[in-house]
Amino acid sequence: MSAAESTTAIQRSQVDLLDFIDWSGVECLNQSSSHSLSNALKQGYREDEGLNLESDADEQLLIYVPFTQVIKLHAIVIKGSEEEGPKTVKLFTNKEHMGFSNVNDFPPSDTAVLSPDNLKGRPVVLKYVKFQNVRSLTIFIEDNQSDSETTKIQMIALYGSTVETTDMKGLKKIEEH
Amino acid sequence: MVLEATMICIDNSEWMRNGDYSPSRFQAQADAVNLICGAKTQSNPENTVGVLTMAGKGVRVLVTPTSDLGKILACMHGLEIGGEMNLAAGIQVAQLALKHRQNKKQQQRIIVFAGSPIKHDKKSLEMIGRKLKKNSVALDIVNFGEDDEGKMEKLEALLAAVNNNDTSHIVHVSAGPNALSDVLMSTPIFTGDGEGGSGFAAAAAAAAAAGGVSGFEFGVDPNLDPELALALRVSMEEERARQEAAAKKAAEEASKQEKGGEEQSSSQEATMTEHASGGTSEADNKKNDLSDDDNALLQQALAMSMDEPASSHDLQDMEMPDVAADDPELALALQLSVQDSTKDSSSQTDMSKLLADQSFVSSILASLPGVDPNDPSVKEVLASMQSQSEKQDEDKATEEEEK
Repeated sequence: MSAAESTTAIQRSQVDLLDFIDWSGVECLNQSSSHSLSNALKQGYREDEGLNLESDADEQLLIYVPFTQVIKLHAIVIKGSEEEGPKTVKLFTNKEHMGFSNVNDFPPSDTAVLSPDNLKGRPVVLKYVKFQNVRSLTIFIEDNQSDSETTKIQMIALYGSTVETTDMKGLKKIEEH
Repeated sequence: MVLEATMICIDNSEWMRNGDYSPSRFQAQADAVNLICGAKTQSNPENTVGVLTMAGKGVRVLVTPTSDLGKILACMHGLEIGGEMNLAAGIQVAQLALKHRQNKKQQQRIIVFAGSPIKHDKKSLEMIGRKLKKNSVALDIVNFGEDDEGKMEKLEALLAAVNNNDTSHIVHVSAGPNALSDVLMSTPIFTGDGEGGSGFAAAAAAAAAAGGVSGFEFGVDPNLDPELALALRVSMEEERARQEAAAKKAAEEASKQEKGGEEQSSSQEATMTEHASGGTSEADNKKNDLSDDDNALLQQALAMSMDEPASSHDLQDMEMPDVAADDPELALALQLSVQDSTKDSSSQTDMSKLLADQSFVSSILASLPGVDPNDPSVKEVLASMQSQSEKQDEDKATEEEEK
């Protein structure tokens, strides 16, 4: 029941923010060169189950996603395998160029502990108030489900709405009257 | 043309006195550093290079990543050889310096000159390597000098831990007739993974080989290859500038004793500004003053430029006696500001004692142009100052009595 609710919640007001990602600024620290971030983020690659984003030297990953405009983030979907998928995920908004050393210096805007359900595709709904004015998102993956050496992520999808788009809809309603 | 910030870690340990690389291991290293800086800056003008030393009293950053070649060349002068190299600390400090680079879009790279035995074990080096890889820092290792057992293995292990897609390299240079810099020129460290920098490398190689195959100035036809000819000319000029700086330093050392205190304060001001114009000559001054006092001052100045507020007060106090000697009014103003900021009563009394010493003050006033010490208004001021200082002494005496 709740799974169905959350998926309809996504369909109703939220949009896949893929189009609003500023690809020139996307960065990922500690990714393996053969299994890079595009495998998890980009259209087409992320649907392919064989293509994963994999971590390199250890199990942590730091992903930086800037957007082309200000957005509101509603939910996030992270898909991965049951053992090597991520477990603790911390999200930071509007912080540029974070490194593994200063990731513990700021409190995260939200923390999500992923269950195997989430890893199958169930979206994680975020604290709405904290994600109202997002210019860039930093995703810090702290550990994985089975504490294995590398973390594998098959897909990362962000759902939300843009700030400008909401305004336009508001204008249209007034005109109807 | 990769946009890169590089930190070069120099080994200035005791092992560098050896002359198996001509003229000495240390000098060969210095030449190599100069050439690398030139190559990096040429391949992309926005590249920055920084230098730190690993031995001596401890790891010391000589210059933070900058694109100003003059600053880098200048800081290589007057380096002392001694102590033992601390590779782990050196790499970690280099990583920190790169983390705080101004242009975050630059790729991070560390070049290490490992000339002396390595006391760390393989495991800890591997951990350091993995941490570098995690933070996407590339590492180039130049293995030369001492070759003790396990050193090659340790360095190879470190490289394997860091290497990500062949961005990191290791070069072994053995002693012999070829200079360290010549050997390095053909390696990927110089040629920058086989693109841009190769032009500079080829030009420098042609100049060094003393080739005069054709009749042209640098052995290259400017019509056929104008860029190469230009690069050769630039490297010659850089060499000439370096030699001029060395000659100037020698001349300055002779007159150094006479200048004494003035030079001290001027060098402080030079080190305090971030990018001093005419940096070469002033920086030379800075390096010439090798007494312990100046070294301590230098540390403070460097620490200040790295934004450590703790040392600023010391510098402030140092400057005041120099200035007070010239201008008693300025000294009064400084005295008041010192009162506000530090509330240091001892320096105050020193000041007032100086001012109260009438003969001293009158001699100062006599030296000032347009002031006649016999002028009645001047005498009034002197009298009032003296009474002021007497009053202060009285207050002090009463305070002490009350305690």
